[in-house]
Amino acid sequence: MTRRITIDPITRLEGHGKIEIFLDDAGEVSSAYFQIPELRGFESFCVGRPAEEMPGITNRICGVCPEAHHMAAAKAVDQAFGVTCLPAARRIRELIYHAFMVVDHTTHFYCLGGPDFIVGPDAPPEERNILGVIRKLGLDSGKKVIDCRKRNHELIKQLGGRGIHLCGALPGGWSVPVTKEQQAVFRLFAVENINFAQFSLKAFENLVLGNKTYYDLLFSDTYYHETHSMGSVNSQNSSSYYDGMIRVVDTKGRQIALYNPADYQQHIAERVEPWSYLKFPYLKQLGWHGFVDGQQSGIYMTTPLARLNVSDCLDTALAQAEFEKFYDCFDARGKGEGGRNRPVHYRLATHWARLIEVLHAAEKMLELLDHPEICDPHVRQSVEPGAGVGIASVEAPRGTLTHHYETDDHGILTRVNMIVGTTNNNAPISLSIMKAAKGLIHNGHFTQGILNQVEMAFRLYDPCCSCATHALGKSPLELNLRRQSDGVLVDQLLRC
Amino acid sequence: MVCLLISCCVVEKLLKGCWCWMLTAEKLVIGLGSPFLADDSVGLHVVRQLQTKGLPGVRFVESHAGGLLLLEEMEGAKQVIIVDAMQDEQHQPGEVLILGINGSSQNASCSHDCSLHQALNIGRTLSMELPADDAIHLVAVVAKDLTSFSQQLTPDVEAAVEPACKAVQRLFGF
Repeated sequence: MTRRITIDPITRLEGHGKIEIFLDDAGEVSSAYFQIPELRGFESFCVGRPAEEMPGITNRICGVCPEAHHMAAAKAVDQAFGVTCLPAARRIRELIYHAFMVVDHTTHFYCLGGPDFIVGPDAPPEERNILGVIRKLGLDSGKKVIDCRKRNHELIKQLGGRGIHLCGALPGGWSVPVTKEQQAVFRLFAVENINFAQFSLKAFENLVLGNKTYYDLLFSDTYYHETHSMGSVNSQNSSSYYDGMIRVVDTKGRQIALYNPADYQQHIAERVEPWSYLKFPYLKQLGWHGFVDGQQSGIYMTTPLARLNVSDCLDTALAQAEFEKFYDCFDARGKGEGGRNRPVHYRLATHWARLIEVLHAAEKMLELLDHPEICDPHVRQSVEPGAGVGIASVEAPRGTLTHHYETDDHGILTRVNMIVGTTNNNAPISLSIMKAAKGLIHNGHFTQGILNQVEMAFRLYDPCCSCATHALGKSPLELNLRRQSDGVLVDQLLRC
Repeated sequence: MVCLLISCCVVEKLLKGCWCWMLTAEKLVIGLGSPFLADDSVGLHVVRQLQTKGLPGVRFVESHAGGLLLLEEMEGAKQVIIVDAMQDEQHQPGEVLILGINGSSQNASCSHDCSLHQALNIGRTLSMELPADDAIHLVAVVAKDLTSFSQQLTPDVEAAVEPACKAVQRLFGF
């Protein structure tokens, strides 16, 4: 007789998710699934609306990553209307986007992913949160986190019109320029962001790399998968969040695809499973071979870790130094195909990669604010709506986000498709949950701490189910433990 | 990288100066909800209507998320009113309820960070300047439809927008 475990709702993710774990008669895990029980609906809701409304509509899909949808939508509308974004407006978009990357990653590390390392994976759930992190790191660290969020939200609010669901994007431009006074203040924000990122990386080094238990966890086989990596890169093959070509490297570090986001349909196919509303994208050139990892599998990931794996460098000085330190730690620098870094597949390293991206994004903010024309007032232009196709990608904090629009002669949307970061990561998330469950649950024995370690396997992806299904609503998670034979619920964790 | 040589002390002073010109007000109204989910948007409607009334010393915020975002908005305010839709089978759609901080809705939580209670707890732990619990109220409008894709309120809830505005004004002593 097989039993079934359900983790529902999964904690510390955005959107509703459910983990189902099935146990056989011996109490061993026979299968595990990450399910998204929400129904997608945003795409059909948007058809028939003027395309220029999309930055304002799609940013409501999620309360956490509206900036990612706003920018992807703005870029897709530019393309559909055949207009190139004005240089000053593009710099403002990038500045806001990098501020968003800083604040989103910071929130994930200190509120969602970090507590597992800083407070401990076995700590009681009521302590495994940001308050527990503050208690462990000290009040000053809590102030740093709140100040980081506040200053970057202030920048987004001033340039984006609203702090949460910004409304600044216009076809081919931006609503307001940066003033000289703002430039001076935002420059200080960027410097503070750099200092904060360095503080966070130091904390990670001390608390995780300097602690044998956590160090071993980082290198644990329980959280190891060899999949291909995907992310956007610039002309130097450095990770690029606002714009770039999509690069895919295989499990050995060899480039197997480099394409314009507009060509995504030539490279990506989507698998549908009857038990989830969320599709499972895979690489067309390798095909779908089921939920298996390895060089022959078509499964890929698009995460902060994936973005480091596809990059040959990071194009800012301090982040580059951390990038090198990261691959040195895994003895992987220059050890991959053709002298590239060997990809890191230890999934918990994603948390470290996330902090390196905070530093990279903060340095990019400073670069943008030091641009001699950052205060150029020419940020708007006249644009004629019309028929076209617009396909654009940004690197959302949790992976590559693509918006695809088609418009008629009046600029009205006739087709909308979105592939978001969590969708790209759907198959590897399922793989990771399966491996963690099989490695941690034996003889039907499990504890809260063990189930939390199963959750850690998916939490590292920073999944956003609201975005992935484009659904609106609450976002709890549940874990169900069930018998395989009859589906009877053996135990359940419910968290909100 | 010259800027990195600026001493922490100087940066701190400059940043304190920056915060000064950022908008603060003693009274704050936060409208919560999604504009595309029928009655869920009632908090936004109420905030927008209140903005036309010329209330002095009041700051207005529209939000789709809670948790730490609300904490950041609340810093410096003496009195805060959150306006939100509410599901309650004990009351009729369109009824306006005034609740204390313990009545804050699920929407005041953010699954990406924490609940409003936790956020306030964090803020107080960090000695942030926050309103007392009894200076935080929830004006809740009982909703009928929170799931349909619609930018329209249902009639009963639409009729409750003005009464909800009056409730906010009364709480502020206008």
